[in-house]
Amino acid sequence: MGSLEEILTGFQVAISLEGIMFVLLGVFVGTFIGMLPGLGPITAIAIMIPITYGMDPALALVMMAGVYYGAVFGGSTSSILLNAPGISGTVASSFDGYPMAQNGQAGKALAIAAISSFIGGTISVVLLMAFAPMLSSVAVSFGPPAYFALMLLGLTAIASLSEGSTLKALISAVVGFMVATIGIDPQTGTARFDFGVPRLLDGIDFLVIALGLFAISEVGYLVINRFKASFASAKELGSLKLSKQDLKDISGPAGRQSILGFILGILPGAGATIASFIGYISEKRISKNPEKFGKGYIKGLAGPETANNAATSGSFVPLLSLGIPGSGTTAVMLGAFLVLGIQPGPMLMGDHPDVFWGVIASMYIGNIFLLVLNLPLIPYIARVLTTPRPLLISLVMMFSLIGVYSISFSTFDLYLLLGFGVLGFLMRMFAFPAPPFILAFILGGMMEQSFRQAMTSSQGNLSVFFTNNISLALIILSVLSFAFPIIQSMRQKKKQA
Amino acid sequence: MTRNVNRIIGLILALLATGYLLLSYQLPTYDYIPVDADVIPKALGWLLLILSVALFFSKDQDSEEQKAKRHVAKKDVKAMAGVFGITLIYIMLLEVVGFIVMTSIFVFFCSLFLGYRQHVVNAIVSISFPIFIYSIFVFLLNINLPQGILPL
Amino acid sequence: MRKVLASSLFALMLIVLAACGGGDSESAEGNGSDESSESSGDNGESSSEESSWTPAGSIEVVAPAGAGGGWDTTARMTAQTLTEEGIIEQDMGVVNKPGAGGAVGWSYIANQNDPHNIFVSSSPLLLVPLNGQSEHTYEDFTPIANVIADYGAFVTGPDAEWDTLDELFQDMKDGNASEITVVGTSAPGSMDHIQFIRFARAAGVDVSNISYVSDPDAGGVTQVMNGSADVFSTGIGDVTEQIRSGDVKPLAVTSEERLDGDTLGEIPTAKEQGIDETFVNWRGFFGPPDMTDAQVAYYENKLKEMSDSEAFADIRENYAWDEMYMDSEEYQTFLEEENQVFKDILSDLDMLEE
Repeated sequence: MGSLEEILTGFQVAISLEGIMFVLLGVFVGTFIGMLPGLGPITAIAIMIPITYGMDPALALVMMAGVYYGAVFGGSTSSILLNAPGISGTVASSFDGYPMAQNGQAGKALAIAAISSFIGGTISVVLLMAFAPMLSSVAVSFGPPAYFALMLLGLTAIASLSEGSTLKALISAVVGFMVATIGIDPQTGTARFDFGVPRLLDGIDFLVIALGLFAISEVGYLVINRFKASFASAKELGSLKLSKQDLKDISGPAGRQSILGFILGILPGAGATIASFIGYISEKRISKNPEKFGKGYIKGLAGPETANNAATSGSFVPLLSLGIPGSGTTAVMLGAFLVLGIQPGPMLMGDHPDVFWGVIASMYIGNIFLLVLNLPLIPYIARVLTTPRPLLISLVMMFSLIGVYSISFSTFDLYLLLGFGVLGFLMRMFAFPAPPFILAFILGGMMEQSFRQAMTSSQGNLSVFFTNNISLALIILSVLSFAFPIIQSMRQKKKQA
Repeated sequence: MTRNVNRIIGLILALLATGYLLLSYQLPTYDYIPVDADVIPKALGWLLLILSVALFFSKDQDSEEQKAKRHVAKKDVKAMAGVFGITLIYIMLLEVVGFIVMTSIFVFFCSLFLGYRQHVVNAIVSISFPIFIYSIFVFLLNINLPQGILPL
Repeated sequence: MRKVLASSLFALMLIVLAACGGGDSESAEGNGSDESSESSGDNGESSSEESSWTPAGSIEVVAPAGAGGGWDTTARMTAQTLTEEGIIEQDMGVVNKPGAGGAVGWSYIANQNDPHNIFVSSSPLLLVPLNGQSEHTYEDFTPIANVIADYGAFVTGPDAEWDTLDELFQDMKDGNASEITVVGTSAPGSMDHIQFIRFARAAGVDVSNISYVSDPDAGGVTQVMNGSADVFSTGIGDVTEQIRSGDVKPLAVTSEERLDGDTLGEIPTAKEQGIDETFVNWRGFFGPPDMTDAQVAYYENKLKEMSDSEAFADIRENYAWDEMYMDSEEYQTFLEEENQVFKDILSDLDMLEE
């Protein structure tokens, strides 16, 4: 922890009139861009970089940080309303958020997302402020074996993401993993399964798969139900009313996932996606009524939403205290620092305490702004769902098409999107769950790479996964996590017998 | 009947796994790399093959609700094929005709095709929405979308 | 019935539109150029005499990569300086064409073949084609000017047993090569890997069994800090702060002479350690295959003016880039030499794709 004086300098930056204005601007632009199809925090930050040129570094970075967490915040909107996750961190939010919106509780779902994001954001900033300098050692403690084990732990979630047949969930996951192997293999430079198409050399973009499997396949069902009346009345739909019980339901996941999400966010490379999935799964595991998950359960939305926002704050630990960007987004954020002549790294706190603490302090204010800005808008945003079905279908299709096009500028990716849409529809028709597919797609690629990195470093010796303490602990946890549901169901059967 | 469904899907997956495996075995390998680019794909291919066999012989566990989902009326299939076709044409012509024109046409006709009868509202939405998106992307965010035939 | 009507109307309109669009589809695809579509077909060159050329419309600066990377940053900063300093009056738009390590963007430029499109590239323009991953090579494009350079560095964890690059290479020559893991951000056969091999080769190390790990998520620093890998081969800019704080130990920098700056100036070059090799990560601009001398001269002059401007000097300083201006001719010769070096290295590694 820095000296009190330095922290106060930070607050001085953040609470000054200009500071407040730039935070406001940042979170506003961030939320807005985050809600646009396909555009996530990476694009939002990259676009804002030229604007900051020549500004006071502390103020500019306070704004850029606002753009970052604002975009994460805004990203969940399309996930909840249209089942169209724009960034990987919000996929898990759609599992219960979208069913809630479908049940006519869109306003409530968005409000829960906003509140849990706020809690996740705020608690994690407290943690960031208190422990940032100390936690930098955590960020570098993970070598390839530990990453492999972490991904493995994430993958054990497949069993709990399936409803009905575990066999089908496994098949989904294996196919998802296979899709992740398309493209140039980073360890050898070998092109795999590219069929001679240059666009496939980089692999298939996450967005193509997420929007295809979730949004476009959902369009299929909307088409079948196209003559059904729209959702509940606009008033009911936009209602933000949360009962005492609702708030109580939020508080548990929000508290737990703020801390868990923050810790996972610290690890370079893991970030918001893994945090949100683990957030969802861990809430489901400890829940007394896991059967409610996936059907529009408050805890199933609050968990991942808290976690992905907490992870965003966590990702500032390696960036600010070590100068290591842990993800594509923080790499662009690093670029934003550089253009202002600030080098994030171990010396940042000493060289520029106003920037270091200013950015952190501004996050408190930014999170409050996000809540205050968004809550009043929710009734209007939720009204998107009152659009007559035929028009809504066209707009969802558009949203997905633009989203993919604006990141790849390639019509090839649009054909792929359509293809994955059809696949997603067929999968639902034959009860193959999509979440394991996308989870394996995201984690599989990273898992393969860290596995092979570890094997190369150890000259092919498998024991490297068991001699490293972190990796060993995570592997044990994975085994338990995998065995737990099986043991549970066996016990239940015994009871019944 | 349901058992048949699992058999057909099992067969398709087995074919997929075989094709994938064939490609995996053609991947080049290097002597000095302990776990090469082909190892994980081979493992995945075999795993899928085993799982597809398991599916082939497995009993159907679907709920009634799930089975009902599988039944799609003929006119719905036609409607879906229509949306699919319109989207396909959209993708083919997007870069030639341009974003605004193509998107307006897409939104208007797709909604019309699906039975939306308020033509005025439809026209307003399908023209204003693409212009709005285009303006934000191109003028505000500096992300170029295909401008096509419009001299904007 | 109505549906049939609707869809046939739709089809009809499309045919009409496609017919309209077909006429100048060439310029229509080049999103972002406006006036050029009016003078379509002539690429703006026929109207002007040979001695001087000015763009007929807005200029598109293509970054053959996604937002946020080195190429994207260079493209955006260049476009910004050129317009804000009033060096170029036309609109300049940055277009990202990500994919296949640059190959997607390169093939876009080659197919457009429009002198209003220029693009930024660096060593991968040579390496990706040599790895057999692009149908276009640097010879398919017109080098305009190189503008900046940065340098590579080799670092280890703070407690590593080697203090210099020479010590490391001696150790490798003593038969410990297989136990040393090199980590880099890019895949084998590209930048970071080749950079290490280039120096190891010059020092006489057997390069056939060096184990190299790629960590695309910028995890290289972490890997040497926690001991998962031994040496990190990277750009100096990526590790300056960690060197300054002592979290990593620099073995050598790849420049000809020591760099400026308190921290950077203390890092020895490979050359002064007796390894006769240097590596410059150059970055510059290229144009489409068919460009007239006048068109090349136009961009060359503008980029020279930009490179000399104070505004760009500030940008260089912030990003720790070095100035390295080369005009079209010098650039061409330089590229040919570099390409030959890469070719030799890759064929030693048995990675050259013919």
